[in-house]
Amino acid sequence: MLLRIYWVLLSLFSFSLANAASVGQPAPDFSLTDSQGMVVRLSHFRNRFVVLEWVNPACPFVQKHYRSGNMQTLQKEAVTNGVVWLSINSTEPEHSDYMSPPQMKRWMSANNGAASHILHDEDGRVGQAYGARVTPHMYIVDPKGRLVYAGGIDSIPSSRVDDIPRATNFVRQGLAESLAGKPVTTATSRAYGCSIKYKS
Amino acid sequence: MTCARSLYRVCQFLVFSAATFFASVVCAQFNLGGDKTIVSTDQVRAELLAHAPEGISAGRTVWVGLQLRHKPEWHTYWKNSGDSGLPTQFEWSLPPGVLAGEIAWPLPKKLPLGTLVNYGYEGTVLLAVPLTISPNFSPPPQSNKLQVGLRASWLVCRTECIPEEGEFLLNIPIQGSTALNAAAFQTAWTAQPQNLSATGSRLRINGKALELILEGLPKSLIGKSLDVFPETAEVTNPSAQSSQSWQGGIWQASLPLADQRSASPSTMALVITHEGQGWRVQLPVEGAWPANVKASGVSPALQAALDANAQTPEPAALPGSFLAALLGALLGGLLLNLMPCVFPVLAIKVLSFTQHADDHRGHRISGVAYTLGVVASFMALGLLLLGLRAAGESLGWGFQLQNPLVVTALAVLFTLIGLNLAGLYEFGQFAPTALSSFQAKHPVVDSFFTGILAVAVASPCSAPFMGASLGLAVTLPSVQAVSIFAALGVGLALPYLLASFVPSFASWLPKPGAWMQVLRRLLAFPMFMTVIWMVWILGHQNGVDGVGALLTLLLILSALIWSITLSGQLRVVLASTILLIGIWALWALGPYLLELHSTAENNSSSNATSQTQPQTQNQLQGQWQAWRPGLVEQLTAQGKTVFVDFTAAWCVTCQYNKQTTLADQQLLADLKSRQVILLRADWTRRDAAITAALARLGRNGVPVYVFYKQGVAPKVLSEVLSVAEVRSALSGL
Repeated sequence: MLLRIYWVLLSLFSFSLANAASVGQPAPDFSLTDSQGMVVRLSHFRNRFVVLEWVNPACPFVQKHYRSGNMQTLQKEAVTNGVVWLSINSTEPEHSDYMSPPQMKRWMSANNGAASHILHDEDGRVGQAYGARVTPHMYIVDPKGRLVYAGGIDSIPSSRVDDIPRATNFVRQGLAESLAGKPVTTATSRAYGCSIKYKS
Repeated sequence: MTCARSLYRVCQFLVFSAATFFASVVCAQFNLGGDKTIVSTDQVRAELLAHAPEGISAGRTVWVGLQLRHKPEWHTYWKNSGDSGLPTQFEWSLPPGVLAGEIAWPLPKKLPLGTLVNYGYEGTVLLAVPLTISPNFSPPPQSNKLQVGLRASWLVCRTECIPEEGEFLLNIPIQGSTALNAAAFQTAWTAQPQNLSATGSRLRINGKALELILEGLPKSLIGKSLDVFPETAEVTNPSAQSSQSWQGGIWQASLPLADQRSASPSTMALVITHEGQGWRVQLPVEGAWPANVKASGVSPALQAALDANAQTPEPAALPGSFLAALLGALLGGLLLNLMPCVFPVLAIKVLSFTQHADDHRGHRISGVAYTLGVVASFMALGLLLLGLRAAGESLGWGFQLQNPLVVTALAVLFTLIGLNLAGLYEFGQFAPTALSSFQAKHPVVDSFFTGILAVAVASPCSAPFMGASLGLAVTLPSVQAVSIFAALGVGLALPYLLASFVPSFASWLPKPGAWMQVLRRLLAFPMFMTVIWMVWILGHQNGVDGVGALLTLLLILSALIWSITLSGQLRVVLASTILLIGIWALWALGPYLLELHSTAENNSSSNATSQTQPQTQNQLQGQWQAWRPGLVEQLTAQGKTVFVDFTAAWCVTCQYNKQTTLADQQLLADLKSRQVILLRADWTRRDAAITAALARLGRNGVPVYVFYKQGVAPKVLSEVLSVAEVRSALSGL
């Protein structure tokens, strides 16, 4: 009996704490410092679509989409359509994958990335609030600040560059539908990639 | 054979421990010719194994499998990899007539990684696959072997992850026995879950969780804690703690659904494990999948209280700040009479009453008509403004101080007014001269039009006041905005009205003179003070860059106006140069005033930046946390009492309360001792979540101070907050 009460209590506790963002609900607001030291707040971008990209340059899955130019193309397409692109790094500073703000900035420009801001979430609070688990984990927030897409970048979970042309890019599809005022057909998908190295 | 096997072991050891190129070459050579069965990396050693003890013939099942030996700390994944990770994938190249089945996944383990939980394997695991040999299969001539090609890809992770792949080739003799790895296959088969009959078992959706009721598990498990692994990914949340219990011989578990669930299967297979034993059950899912997981954790009682609160209309009494604004407008109207271009006219008009002191009734009627004329024209201006505002809003402009552009526009407006009052430039008369000399036949109508004309005639001087009221009224609701304009009109007409009723009033009036200019100059200072206020608000919204940009633009604007007041060649040259500089500056600095380049944290007390704040501020503000949607519900659900300060930088009352009542050390200590969580919701910028939270409290503006506690209707305190009020509200909770 005691064990049962313990389980129930534990599950209640985890319920109240483990409430990550969900699609159709308001996206949790956050403010994070970007690689130039500016504080960026999600709610500043009301009235615009915002893409959140969890990034870790050391992750082979991130490399798959950057070395092929897939991610940068997507960023450019989005930004030209007035979409704000926020690349968020939630790697904790102790981890060997960690990159400092200037390093991230250099990495992004060396890769010709077009992210509007590179944000640093070293304590992982924002990542946890969104339930981001892997890099790349992708989200789309609509102009009203609601989450309309959460999941992977595309439909083929692999680290092979060859799979990119064959895969359906859910972010491209979701943005195109959103910008056309249509509901997103694939609003969630399996995010694949490397686990985010959160501060424990 | 034993010799080969022991040599093989040595090789495995060499590969495993040293992983040298040399060792793997030796081992690869030791295998059958043409085969490539081992791929070794720094993290894992993968080997393609076969098990065909009775050779290969039609109708038989032959087993092949990839054995993964992980280096310590490294792991690969099960068919549902959990929160992250990827299942190992196989692509077979097989001759016609040979068909590969699904991977017989051995029982997985839960692999926690920080806050995430993954499902997979450590140590050594064999992912076995049955090959079905159909009668169509014919071995290639002269080889007498079944050639099995495999391209496998696996993700191997510690905290970092490395996607790896390997190509394998294995020739299995058709005749004779291949049973070298029988033990490995035996282990893989033993590690398979046993099928459990679905009879009596159920899987149903219950709110945010999947309820699993399992019957038929071995009696020996009763009372034991079991692990459950859904085979479908992205349905349940692997890292959320599931609850479980035993009811006699029935095991029940509640598996929280994933917040971003991307699969809604109609049947689900689940694997249940306990200390190396496992069972697999396939169950239809009962109930409808929720469209999306509701983020609200509010108890029904609190929700009811909140709804009741939201339905309560806003208190009918006018807020004190609005009454003050009305009074201010009235005084402004009165002051308008003392302006250099109004006062002499007023003096003459009022003197005329004393001169014709006999016609009291006529004077009164004309005084009232004049007042009506003045007030009507001011209200008309107010309505014109509201029309413009409505048009602007339909275009999507928000006329609110939460919008940096409105703040910028107001700062520009008040600077222009201030410069005018300071005498840098003069407004021309707005009404045509012909109109000014218009006179109506009927004396009452004439007085009414005189009132309207007075407004037009006074325009060079009244413009600054009109501008100020415009600036204020543009942010107010319609009725209040028009009232402000009406009050301004009443103020302007008041001396005349008074004089029409009490002719002796004229003797109270000072004589026109140089003091009028002094007064005008003096009034420039409050205008510039208002500009400082606007700059301060913008600083909160767009940071120091925004402030710098705004001040620069204001300076250039001032220079431009000054250059226009010059004359001749100099004016053309200077004005056009400054205009060009202005355009360039607007292009270069404008973005800092826009949202895109905004850099500021909304409020200095917001906890997100508190770590970088000076220590003193930290101590002062340390107890306050930033409000965010859902936080109050979370905290109250934990039984905490929460106090929320809905505030904004542009709200003077909010700032006053913040510096006085909410900075009271004794009060803060009291709140702390009662373990009240202090949250600050900053509405300096538009924030839909805060707007919604205010609407739930039946409010549409700040300040709002409110106590939340579970099961009690939120207790909203008054706008001008006193320590005593907070105390009594606290003790009443």
